[in-house]
Amino acid sequence: MADSLDTSALFQIEEPEAPRARRRAAGRAIGIDLGTTHSLVAVAPSGAAPRVLADAGGNVLVPSVVSYVGADTRVGVAARAEQVDHPQQVISSVKRFMGRSAQDIGFSHPYRIVSADGVIRFDVGGRRLTPIEVSAEILAVLRTRAEVELGGAVDGAVITVPAYFDDAQRQATKDAGRIAGLDVYRLLAEPTAAALAYGLDRGDTGLFAVYDLGGGTFDISVLRLREGVFQVLATGGDSALGGDDFDRALAAWLIERAGVTAPDHGQTAEALHVARAAKETLSSEDVVAVDLPRAGLAGFELTRAQLEAIVTPIARRTISPCRQALKDAGIAPEELDGVVLVGGSTRTPLVRRLVEQVFRREPLVDLDPDQVVAFGAAIQADILSGSPREGVTLLDVVPLSLGLETMGGIVEKIIARNSTIPIAARQVFTNYSEQQTAMTIHVVQGERELAADCKSLARFELRGIPRLPPSMARVEVVFQLDADALLTVTARELMTGAKQTVEVKPTYGLSAAEVDALVTESYDRAEEDFAARSSAEARVELGRVALAVRAALDDAGDDVSVLPAEEREQVVGALADADATLAAPSASGKATDAVRLRLETVSEPFARRRMERSLLSGMQGKRVEEVERAIDDEGDLDARRGGHGPELTGVGHDEG
Amino acid sequence: MIIPDHFALLSLPRQVDIDRDALEARYLELAREFHPDRVVAADGAGQRAAVERSSELNEAYRTLRDPVRRAEYLCKLGGIDLESTDPKQGAPAMGHAFLLDMIERRERLAVARDGGDIEAFRGDVERELSAVTATAIAELRRERIRSAAEQLVARRYLQRLLDEVDAGS
Repeated sequence: MADSLDTSALFQIEEPEAPRARRRAAGRAIGIDLGTTHSLVAVAPSGAAPRVLADAGGNVLVPSVVSYVGADTRVGVAARAEQVDHPQQVISSVKRFMGRSAQDIGFSHPYRIVSADGVIRFDVGGRRLTPIEVSAEILAVLRTRAEVELGGAVDGAVITVPAYFDDAQRQATKDAGRIAGLDVYRLLAEPTAAALAYGLDRGDTGLFAVYDLGGGTFDISVLRLREGVFQVLATGGDSALGGDDFDRALAAWLIERAGVTAPDHGQTAEALHVARAAKETLSSEDVVAVDLPRAGLAGFELTRAQLEAIVTPIARRTISPCRQALKDAGIAPEELDGVVLVGGSTRTPLVRRLVEQVFRREPLVDLDPDQVVAFGAAIQADILSGSPREGVTLLDVVPLSLGLETMGGIVEKIIARNSTIPIAARQVFTNYSEQQTAMTIHVVQGERELAADCKSLARFELRGIPRLPPSMARVEVVFQLDADALLTVTARELMTGAKQTVEVKPTYGLSAAEVDALVTESYDRAEEDFAARSSAEARVELGRVALAVRAALDDAGDDVSVLPAEEREQVVGALADADATLAAPSASGKATDAVRLRLETVSEPFARRRMERSLLSGMQGKRVEEVERAIDDEGDLDARRGGHGPELTGVGHDEG
Repeated sequence: MIIPDHFALLSLPRQVDIDRDALEARYLELAREFHPDRVVAADGAGQRAAVERSSELNEAYRTLRDPVRRAEYLCKLGGIDLESTDPKQGAPAMGHAFLLDMIERRERLAVARDGGDIEAFRGDVERELSAVTATAIAELRRERIRSAAEQLVARRYLQRLLDEVDAGS
């Protein structure tokens, strides 16, 4: 903090650092929904309809869980599988820790947390990692998934954040993106992304509310759409309220039922897993059987009514922010044209009933509430990559007021919540005596009257104020919020016009230098990861080709009419190279590809002859359509093989 | 320093009564044109300029769409800045009688809290608030800036009282 805000040279003229001007690659952008419980990535290249990307097993959702058990880091399903046995080294729901200080963390968790200079770190046994770095691991997995899909590097990303995220939480998210090697075009509010995806842009005009209850965060936004402009009128929420709280409440209740008074971490982790599954089942069923082997609970029948009794007090906490958002937007529930549900937790029937009560209408649920945010992010990412896409303009708001601490610890609001961003505000300070040559600026965010009750974003000292009679020295401080709702403070001494720009790094984040160091480190590692992946893929491909060639060799036997002796020698030689390459795990993707290409090339005449022969022999006594089908099958095989080669080659080029 | 005129930016005549539809239409048009997302190909300076222009536009819109902010802004353009404490160009000091009235209102609030009718009290303050706002706007129509500014300061006192009622503190 202090290093980046050393303002001893305040009134030297200094140009703010020019944002990097980089040409963006249209159509190579991704949208990421970085969720509390799971994350996903979607693309909508060059005006295409958005689609979410799945892993090899067809899974779209990546559990937002990172395992630091052992030397390697694992993310997603593999990490989650290790959670019950290693509750302190497997980090889940890291989003709840983003941009927060140790004091902000009022919820229970199994982790060993160390806090220094306001920055919290997870101690995962040897390594100490900030929530930003843990989030970056999840983002990197999503980026890699997209790279495989796009067949090369990703140009940039739009990452969604809860609308109610404050400056520190947003900055932390953006830093995580950078560490994951992403050019973060924009942080987009989750409800706004959902509205965009919902195709609300297709109507001419309308007023919509988006109710977004995710795993760990709750947002409510009221939007107006007119003439291709999405205008967020008001937003509200709770960045520490979500479906995870349902799980925790249910887990605690179940543990009590099991008669365990002081559960260990393993019992708690098990209860959480079981509670989550039971909750999901009870969205469609009325009763579910629950087993907690570690806690000694077997065959317990949990009813939906019991679940609802447990979670109702939590769900009801969403009502007041909804009413406040409507009030801030200046509209009555009846004026709305629709209410959109987002987030997996809105599958809970209780939540749907609550939304219906508050907004007095049945909510819209036609898009998958888990995917709709990623869809919107992908669309906005495509627009921002420079694709010629008919885009709507998104006018978002800052969710929480920004202010300065004044005498007596009272907050003076500088930018009011729900102001459309970007927005700037200025405040002029004067000296109170000729002796005063410095003043402290404490920037806070929140709605409370006392600075101590708000989130402290930054505290810095302006020095070098000229010695002038009281009230004669005038320092103008400008707060600029950009389109990500991130704050920059500029101070200018009005007598001389000299100015200084201060990048407001939140007190609970990493300094710019720390982020840069991590970016460099992860860039090196990303290259390794990339190389490892392309090598693995190349090996699979080579193995497949070698297997096919070997089978063909066996089949041909000593028949020189299908395989002349000298050609056989070449094929056998190439096959031996392939075996050697497959036996050497260190072979690079490029080298492996070269071996495969040679094997394919030398065996190509052989393969063609075999195919002609099999067709000829097949035609004797076969019906025409069967022959045609045989040709089609061969064609498919060729297309598959042909389609795969260039993709891998392309990856190799980009990497180099 | 030249104060950028919000009315000129949004192509509206500088007066207290505005055409809301014209304001909304012009705002949307400019918001689309100025938004940083519209200049993704621009260099750093171009991006910065877009952020600055959008910021000015959003501030102008926020000020003009709200009748009270609009009235306060007209006072500022007329030479009286309610944010300032300057005796000549700052917020007019309220008269003794008004301040005594405020003390009396606070006493009534305390009574209302202590088992009295808080809703009736709120209704009274809301009516007074509407009345001073209407007077301020009427004064602005007659271009009586100082008198309008006095009403707007009174309005701020009443608004704060109302906020306290709502906050329940």
